[in-house]
Amino acid sequence: MAAPTHHHSNPALSLVESSSPNVSVSVHPLVLLSVLDHHTRRQEPNGRVIGTLLGKREGNNVTITNCFAVPHAERGDEVAIGKDFNRQMLSLHLLASKHETVVGWYGTALPDDATSGEAQQAGNTTNDAKYLTITDTSSLIHEFYSGECEDPIHLVVDTSMESNGVPVRAYHSLPLTVKGMALANVFHEVRCSVVASDPERIVVHNMIQNASVDKAEQISIRESNQNGLDLTVSVEKLLGMLEKASSFVDGVIANKGKSGDMDEDEVHEVGRKLADTLSGVPSIREEDFESMFNENMQDMLMVSYLSNLTKTQLTIAEKLNASLSV
Amino acid sequence: MTDTAATIAESTVKAVHIDGLAVMKIVKHCQDSLPSMVTGSLLGMMLDDDGILEITHAFPFPEQKDNGGDKNMDGHEYQLEMMKMLREVNVDNNCVGWYQSMLTGSYSTSTLVENQQGYQTDLSPNAVVLLYDPQQTNKGNLVLRAYRLSRECMELLSTQQKNVFLSPSKFFEEIPVYMKNNGLTTAMLYELSQRSNVDHFNCDFEQFNLDKDSYIEKNLELMCNWVDDLANEQYKFQYYVRQQKKQQQNEGEDSGSAPRRLESLLINHQIRQYCDQMEKSSSGSFGKLFLANNLQKGSGK
Repeated sequence: MAAPTHHHSNPALSLVESSSPNVSVSVHPLVLLSVLDHHTRRQEPNGRVIGTLLGKREGNNVTITNCFAVPHAERGDEVAIGKDFNRQMLSLHLLASKHETVVGWYGTALPDDATSGEAQQAGNTTNDAKYLTITDTSSLIHEFYSGECEDPIHLVVDTSMESNGVPVRAYHSLPLTVKGMALANVFHEVRCSVVASDPERIVVHNMIQNASVDKAEQISIRESNQNGLDLTVSVEKLLGMLEKASSFVDGVIANKGKSGDMDEDEVHEVGRKLADTLSGVPSIREEDFESMFNENMQDMLMVSYLSNLTKTQLTIAEKLNASLSV
Repeated sequence: MTDTAATIAESTVKAVHIDGLAVMKIVKHCQDSLPSMVTGSLLGMMLDDDGILEITHAFPFPEQKDNGGDKNMDGHEYQLEMMKMLREVNVDNNCVGWYQSMLTGSYSTSTLVENQQGYQTDLSPNAVVLLYDPQQTNKGNLVLRAYRLSRECMELLSTQQKNVFLSPSKFFEEIPVYMKNNGLTTAMLYELSQRSNVDHFNCDFEQFNLDKDSYIEKNLELMCNWVDDLANEQYKFQYYVRQQKKQQQNEGEDSGSAPRRLESLLINHQIRQYCDQMEKSSSGSFGKLFLANNLQKGSGK
């Protein structure tokens, strides 16, 4: 199988891109979390995990919304996949959510056996082993998934920790032709972005905030709700941002149009965006605003009064019941 | 029925630690299935020493098909099948509770109480129900709460008496929920927060949305309905008492059985929840109104 690079130098050798020119992939954060969880639970400490991706395919855009793990074993050039497991799990998942179909498969990073063997002989730790994201066996697995769906997407979550993060890449397979004859298939990288619906964004936001707090000071979700409802935190953040913007503008005025290491175009861009933001504050006539304000105030006061009244009523009922039944 | 000695020996759960993955799965399932309410199962482990219940995984239950489709699996069968498959990929195989989506905070129903009672007797006294509110979460706050039936409630339910009174606030115990993530996930979250489209995941300013009216309207509407239900329950009691009097006058036998008190107590609890919710959101709205007012006054100069 060809390596994951493609050459355009020889005109006789070309990638057929007509079938899927600009495939783009959107991944939901649930999928990433799921893959990492599966990776953490794997059997062999030096292996990788694979699983099936579920989602929707609309023309050239593939949205991956869910996934599940599939047991597999690979040794050298051979790979075994739990096909029955895959079928069974797929049918269970489809029972619960009808709109998802198989769109591809995922895999994590695999330590390269050749280099890790040498590294161990030399007495180095496995930290020095090289990790491969696409291996020879990947193409075999990809072939299996080509039978499950059309043009499967291969998502690689790089868990090798070689860079300081967990990059995510997506590939799909394109045939490589020489003078019109298809020779082999090549993994071609496609654009991959992480998108999330509003509630998912809020969950990820909570997780990011929790991650930066010490273990001993973690607050429960209920408490962070109450902090969220409390406006002071948000207002303080907004105030901080306004102060940053205002000191930036002061700096630009003092330096007569320049600021630090930003070139003039960028400074102009920021200035334009600031002007747009400030003009976004709606200007309403005073009387109109007064009346809107008063109406809303009255509504809120009435709602607040009604809820207090109801609560008092309920408390009375409770006290009566309690005293009568004993 | 569980052995009372064993119940006392087991430590009660004081906190719930839930993995980010399980939260995402619950959120995704409930969101996708709006406007209907859905349920699912929670998997994890109970750490006895600290009274912490860890939830590491969650999966949804399939929808109930009345006519029976191609794959007409019983909910229980589905659960067993799913747990068996998950075992093969090393996921915790322990069912520790269940989750349900609630609309605008309505959870105090007799079905929930019955289900939870079933879980607490069959599974473990520490089984929890996780309630997720998809509509409140849309306004910038994650609303995910864990409840159990309190011990007094369990005892009274098992005695099967109909007219026993228990203060509605003592029905459910809320348990604080903490969200945890493993190291690899934290690394990925760091990467997500540092990317160029960093604002995609930043929800600091969702609070400033002035459009809370629809939420309050919904709450008021639901509250009206539930107050009507409460009035109906009262009529039932009065009717029963009148029947009793008539029977006594005619020296007849006992009339029909008394209506259940559970319903009116639950309704009571739920109305109180709505009142609390409305109070919180209206006090927030006051603040926002004054902010907007000052902003207008400032920019008018």
